[in-house]
This record gives sequence, structure tokens and C-alpha cells, in this order.
Amino acid sequence: MKKRKLKEQILATCLILPSLIVFTIFMFWPLARTVYLSFFDWNMIKPVKKFVGFQNYVTLLTDDLTYKVLGNTLLYIAILLVINFVFPYILSFILSFLMRKGKGFYKTAFFLPSVISLVVGSILYVWILNPVTGPIAKILVHFGIVLPIWSKSEGLVIWILSLVTSWKVFGYNFIIVLSGVMGVPQEVIEAAKIDHVSNYRIFTQIILPMSSATGIYVFIITIVQGLQYVFTPIKVVTQGGPNYASSNLIYQTYHEAFYMYRTGVASAFSVLSMVLFVGLLVLEFKYVEKGVYYEN
Amino acid sequence: MKIDKKQWLYQILFAAITIVLLFPIIFAISNSFKTLEEATNHIWRFIPAAPTLENYRHVFERLPFVRITMNTFLIAFTVTVFKSLTSILAAYAFVFLDFKGKGSLYFVLISTMFIPFTVTMIPNYITVSALGLNDNIWGVALPQLSDALGIFLLRQSMRTVPKSLIEVARMEKIGHARIIRDILLPLVKPAVVSTGIIFFINSWNEYVWPVLILKSKENYTLSLALQMFISSEGGTDFTVAMAVSVTTMIVPLILYMIFQKYIINTFALSGVKG
Repeated sequence: MKKRKLKEQILATCLILPSLIVFTIFMFWPLARTVYLSFFDWNMIKPVKKFVGFQNYVTLLTDDLTYKVLGNTLLYIAILLVINFVFPYILSFILSFLMRKGKGFYKTAFFLPSVISLVVGSILYVWILNPVTGPIAKILVHFGIVLPIWSKSEGLVIWILSLVTSWKVFGYNFIIVLSGVMGVPQEVIEAAKIDHVSNYRIFTQIILPMSSATGIYVFIITIVQGLQYVFTPIKVVTQGGPNYASSNLIYQTYHEAFYMYRTGVASAFSVLSMVLFVGLLVLEFKYVEKGVYYEN
Repeated sequence: MKIDKKQWLYQILFAAITIVLLFPIIFAISNSFKTLEEATNHIWRFIPAAPTLENYRHVFERLPFVRITMNTFLIAFTVTVFKSLTSILAAYAFVFLDFKGKGSLYFVLISTMFIPFTVTMIPNYITVSALGLNDNIWGVALPQLSDALGIFLLRQSMRTVPKSLIEVARMEKIGHARIIRDILLPLVKPAVVSTGIIFFINSWNEYVWPVLILKSKENYTLSLALQMFISSEGGTDFTVAMAVSVTTMIVPLILYMIFQKYIINTFALSGVKG
């Protein structure tokens, strides 16, 4: 028996090793190296890196731009959560328990944009929402409404770029939330309906708690992946402009690294965003965990 | 009667969302077959009055388009094959074998899904450059030969296979390679296929990493070529931009049409806790 255990240990190691090698070289080691680089003044080209201690972090934390970008990031998160977390939840409830027809069709249709490149999405929306020649503008003009040049309008630009990103993310999240919501036993809902419990209460007091495991997962990926997805429309459409009004933590890091060539500052930026992500996740877990419904 | 009214309202709501989501795709296809003149004057006309292939011809003329499509395919194919292999092996070990540190190793691997790419971007750029793979499609593929999402999705589906089945096979002294190939894979085939398709589509659409690595046009992937049509080089060529968009999205769309049931079911699994 002991021999089998040893054999199994060796075998498991061999099976996981290919993945582990890739992860070590291109994930774990770079992670450590980024932390290391954040303590240096460097531009990726100079042969010598200059140790500067916490200077890069001080530079970042005393720069107003950092706080502007942070504010933008939070706004992106809020919009993405409403469109890709709150809406899918409500719609999943309607589709699973209130609607009688169309489940298969809407699942397929909603997911479709998720397989298309966000570069394509960005380009299509740039033309669709073109303030002069786009189809939307041409309709609105009949009502005397002129579309603003959104890519140059502070504030508005974040909303539009979030919409473009949501076009891709929405269906993907919807499918996952839907499977969680459909996991709630039909009988429970039927029983509540017989007792004349309102749909609102069925949703908040039965559906939400009973699908919370899936809910938390989607909440997290909406934030973590959503912010990374937004990178593409930012890069393709605005390059962070106007005046950094559409930049977020992810884009700003890229900007520091590959436009400004401030490797140390960029590294410090990515360490900060990682801390923020981890902090958000921990907070969320602690806060939501109380309400999580556990099946026994 | 009241209930029927509500049903209609729900249907209208869902139909409206469907239209909003699918409109950009129809918009692109329809305008890619118009002349610039028709597109400018009749942007809402869905079926072109005088359909033309001129825009597509233009794309092939202006870009080394066959080469670019080939690059995109080669990267996506390589990444898919390697990710699938490494994920199958790792998922098998995580589900059916007992070993020390299993739980924590799995946790560490899976938590990398939540690390933003900016954290590894600079060192990976330095590594790939040091290997002389800058401006090379293999430099794009190399860091992506394994994938946490793949291990996660395949583990989820392998867990539905009874452990006793694998145990019996091992009692019969059937080797692990044969167990995986002849017993396990046929059982989890839908998940393996859809995970593979997802890898392929994601790589096909990838933008962030290739944009850092690839510099010259003949090494571009479709996403990068597409990006040129939004800046100076495309300028006002609206219909040509639509044609490139269509050529970029056609492959993922066809794959999705064929495998949609598999893909949707696999993703539906990913939210289930465990």
C-alpha cells in the first residue's frame, strides 16, 4: 500500500509538471520579478537598474493622476457590475421561472457576442456610435438630438467603453448566472408561488441566497476580468484619453511600461492593482460569506 | 389573461436585448457588402441594393492577408493543442490521484485566474525578448501553453465520472495512459471539445499580448491587422473596416454555431461550486 502511495505521488507530479513548468516560468516567477522591479529605476533597456527603495510607490501615491485613474477604475467596476452582474441575475430569474418559452434560443443568442474579438466589438461600436455618420446619430437627428463626440468627452467616454466591453461579457456571465439560478429547485419556487409570495421576495429571499456560490464567482470575474477586458476598447479607441479620462489601472500600467518606459513605476502600479484586487476579493468574501447559503 | 400579457412583456424584453446584442454583427455583415456610397447614404439598409465584393478584395490587396490569417491560425492551433494536453493531464491528477499538497497546489494554480495580466506583462516581455522571440508568432504562443481555466473546467467535468470506475480499471492493471485515452476521454468528450474550442476562440481573438510582441505586418494576427483600420491607415474606409471585421469574426462564429450546445453547457458548469 505504501509503495502504491509513493508511485502515485510520482505519477501525479509527472502529470502536473508540464503545467507547473509553464506556470512557474510565465506566472509565478514574473510575479516575483514584478515586485522586485518595483523597487528599481529602470527603462528595460539600460544595462543597470538603480535601486530606489519605495520611491516608485511614493511617486505613484503622491501623483494626482493615480487617484484619477483609481476613480475611473471604480466607475468602470460599478458600471460593469450593474450591466453584467445585476441585469443577468434578474433576467436569469425571469427566464428560468417566469417565462414559458424561449430558454434555448435566448441562451444561444445572448452568448453569441462572447465569441467575438473585442477589437471587432470596439471597431463596430466606433462606427455604430459615430456622432455624425453612424446609424444611431442618423436616427437621433430626426428628433433634433445630436450625439456628443463621446470619445473626447470626459465622463461619458467611460460609459461607452463599458458598454462595448459589456457587449462581450454580458452573455458569458448570463450563462453562468443562469445555471446557478436554475439550480434552485423548481418545487421551492412553486411552493412560494402557491403561498402568493411576490416575485420580488422570491428573488431576494430564495433565489439570491440559494445561488450565492455562483453569484460570488460571477461577481469576482466581472471585476477582475471585466477590468482587463476594458483594456482593449481603451487601447483601440481612446488610448486612455482625453486627458486620461478613460484610463484604468490596467491601461495605465501598460501606458507607463510601454509608452513612458518607466518600468519601475509600471511595476509598482501593477503591484498596487493586484493588492487592490486581492483586497476587494477578501472584503467581498468576508462580507458576502455571511449571507451564503450552504447546501448540506 | 393577465398572465399572458406578462408573458408577452417578458418576450418583448428578451427580444429587445437580443436585437441590441446581435445588431453590431448584422450591421458589419450588411455594410461589408455595400459600396462606400451606398453605406454612407443608406446606412440602415440591411440588404445591399448593389452587393459588391470590392471591400474584401481591398483587404486582400492592402494586407498580406493570407499570411496574417495563417499566423492567427498557427498560434491558436498550437496554444489549443498544448493547453488541452497539459490541462487534461493535470485535471486527471487532481481528480483521480492522491498526493501530498493536492488541495493547496490546486488552489495556487486556480488563483492565477484572478491575477491581472499587467502583473506578469513586463517580465514576460523581457523573457520572450531574451529568447529572441520578439516579433515572432512563437513568442506569442510560448507563455500560454498551459491554462488555469482549462484545468478548472476539465476538473469540474471529470468529477462527474465515478471514481470507482477508474479504480476498477487500475485494479485490472490498465495503464494510466490507456485509462485516460480509452475510458476517461470518451466520457468527458463534450467538455474536452468545448474547452478546446474556447481555447481556440480566445487565442484567435487575443489582442493584448500579441500587440506587445508582434511588430511587423507580416507577423500580425487578425486582431492587430484589424486595429489598423481604426487609425490613420483605415481612415474613412468604413466599408473596408467592416469587411476586415467580418473576416475576423467569421471563424469564431462558425465554430460557435457548430459547437454552441457543448460550449454553453461547459461554461454553465464553471459556476457550480466545488
